[in-house]
Amino acid sequence: MNLQEQIQHDFRKYLAHENNDSSEIFAQLRHKAIAEFEKTGLPNIKNEEWKYTNLRNISSLSFNSSSDISNNAKKLLNENSLNAIKANHLVFINGRFYNDLSNIIENDKSIIISNLETERKNNSVHLEKHFGKYAKIEGEGLNAMNTALLNDGVFVYVPINQKVEHPILITNIVDATEFNVLSQPRNLILVEKNSSVQIIENYLSTGINASFTNVVNEIFVDENAKVEHYKIQQQCGESYQNNFTQFFQNTSSNINQVTLTLDGALIRNNLHFYMNGENCNSLLYGFYLTEKNNHIDNHTRVDHASPNCYSDEKYKGILKDESTAVFNGKIIVHVDAQKTNAYQRNQNILLSETATINTKPQLEIFADDVKCTHGATIGRLDDEQLFYLQSRGISKDSARRILLNAFADEIAERIKIPELVQILEAEIEKKL
Amino acid sequence: MLSIKNLQAEIEGKQILNGINLEVKAGEIHAIMGPNGSGKSTLSAIIAGRQEYQVTAGSITFNGKNILEMSPEARACEGVFLAFQYPIEIPGVSSINFLRTAINERRKYNGLEPIEATDFLKTMREKMELIKMDKSLTSRSLNEGFSGGEKKRNEIFQMAMLEPTLAILDETDSGLDIDALRLVSEGVNKLRNKDNAFVVITHYQRLLDYIIPDFVHVLYKGRIVKSGDKSLALELEEKGYDWIKNEVEQVNN
Ligand SMILES: Nc1ncnc2c1ncn2[C@@H]1O[C@H](COP(=O)(O)OP(=O)(O)OP(=O)(O)O)[C@@H](O)[C@H]1O
Ligand SMILES: [Mg+2]
Repeated sequence: MNLQEQIQHDFRKYLAHENNDSSEIFAQLRHKAIAEFEKTGLPNIKNEEWKYTNLRNISSLSFNSSSDISNNAKKLLNENSLNAIKANHLVFINGRFYNDLSNIIENDKSIIISNLETERKNNSVHLEKHFGKYAKIEGEGLNAMNTALLNDGVFVYVPINQKVEHPILITNIVDATEFNVLSQPRNLILVEKNSSVQIIENYLSTGINASFTNVVNEIFVDENAKVEHYKIQQQCGESYQNNFTQFFQNTSSNINQVTLTLDGALIRNNLHFYMNGENCNSLLYGFYLTEKNNHIDNHTRVDHASPNCYSDEKYKGILKDESTAVFNGKIIVHVDAQKTNAYQRNQNILLSETATINTKPQLEIFADDVKCTHGATIGRLDDEQLFYLQSRGISKDSARRILLNAFADEIAERIKIPELVQILEAEIEKKL
Repeated sequence: MLSIKNLQAEIEGKQILNGINLEVKAGEIHAIMGPNGSGKSTLSAIIAGRQEYQVTAGSITFNGKNILEMSPEARACEGVFLAFQYPIEIPGVSSINFLRTAINERRKYNGLEPIEATDFLKTMREKMELIKMDKSLTSRSLNEGFSGGEKKRNEIFQMAMLEPTLAILDETDSGLDIDALRLVSEGVNKLRNKDNAFVVITHYQRLLDYIIPDFVHVLYKGRIVKSGDKSLALELEEKGYDWIKNEVEQVNN
């Protein structure tokens, strides 16, 4: 069975038990989504948006939906360096929520930090209002696939005028010890007016088999609300990931998003912002470190759909070995979005002759009074800079590391949680 | 201390040094002058260990060791220092961390423990005072956005911090204002002692009024074509290089 057949098979299995949950909105959406999935299928390289990222390896895999988890997963969880962060910690393994491994420390106030499945059982009005409203499924086969057969995920609701004190840490582990694993997390985060929250999505893996993590995040940020959002991807071995994140922003909302892609056989990130009101601020920064034959693809899209908004984007990558990276940054300035300020840069350092980067900025501007700049650079470590450092007694290895750290620092500076910066530094230390 | 014998070097198949001979002893100051493009920076880069140049013949020994076999960092740890003609900017690398790393790598090479933080800061203050360097410069990225003169002064500051036994100053005077030139020269004179040596590359006699050389050499077309004492610099200032070029051409014919 290939992936496409598997999804159809799994959906028939789901239908057999459907009456369990036919009462709620998920059922309707699932039906719509499976129809969409059957129509659209998995993306292939004939699709312009997927020109450089081939899912062939994934689509031919067959997955086992075993729910057993091994000790490896627990070990990985215990050794996770993010444990040092005092956080509301939610643990998902192979897409399922593990309450006993989780630790939610701020559930006292009106703030809800929970999992989607619990919220669904409570017939939540929030789900009614927001679920599936932001992540498009039309023409997006992978989003449709997630919607049709989503496992579980985080549900966060921050009511008006509230600040979530501690970060919400979402640890997603795939445990491919026994079988190939398909995991489809689905997170919904709602931040109401004047509220703020920090979110960390952390992706880990264990096991020698293959895994495919297909994530959809929907994040609603109401007027004057603030979100800091971090994504750390460090799945090892034969792990594949598609990560779709849609931010929907109302007036004067602020988002600081940082994506650190440190490991993974194939990762495709789709990071989308929709500015639905004026004076929105969106900062999106990314760092990727690729080696062996990793393939890391960052597609971003910022919809400046309202006037007077600001976006600043910077993605930096260091590529080793035979690895490949793709950067495609789309900025769309809609007709009415006057006084838009949008900046975008992508910088790459290639450490080997055989690494490849495909970088493409795309500006589509339909308003006339806007300021947009973009640029991409691809280079190697500067020999003269290396020599300068060496000539002062610094060994070539240290000199390389100093220069690469300096390169990554600009992104690290955007991270306001020290433990995340440490992970980044440790990974650079280890790999370079 | 430094002994260069028949040094020949090329880059991309182009011969640049054509047999340089130079002996520098501890306690000495040597000045090297010569027309643009004659090979002065090439010579200093080769001594410091720049790999782009290919040494095709000859030898360089430093305190009896063949340094051509050594990495640039090993040469620096042995006590060689080059103040660059065009110091490069290194964005994102803090000047202070860079200096501390450099000092500690050298200490490690010599079997010493890393420098104490307080000692480091104290030395830094002293050396900055020595050449009146603006404190704010050390809190910035290495040379990033520094003016031409600030970069040159920073080279001398690094030299003062690293206390090399052989310092090569490649046109450190170019780009310095009159006061800075005096301060930097005074700094060099204070750092000077019987155990170290300086090779000062310059186009201008004025520097040599402050830093008084024991020997002056003229480099032309990759060769030292004339050597003398400090009066040679005065003669060059007065007469230019033509008479030397003529002498060389006559010998060749
Ligand atoms: N990387 C290189 N590639 C090609 N030619 C080079 C390279 N580096 C130096 N040269 C050539 O070697 C010659 C010597 O250059 P060098 O910089 O050593 O001169 P210099 O004596 O320091 O001159 P100046 O007084 O202008 O600083 C010049 O003709 C220069 O063009
Ligand atoms: Mg020169």
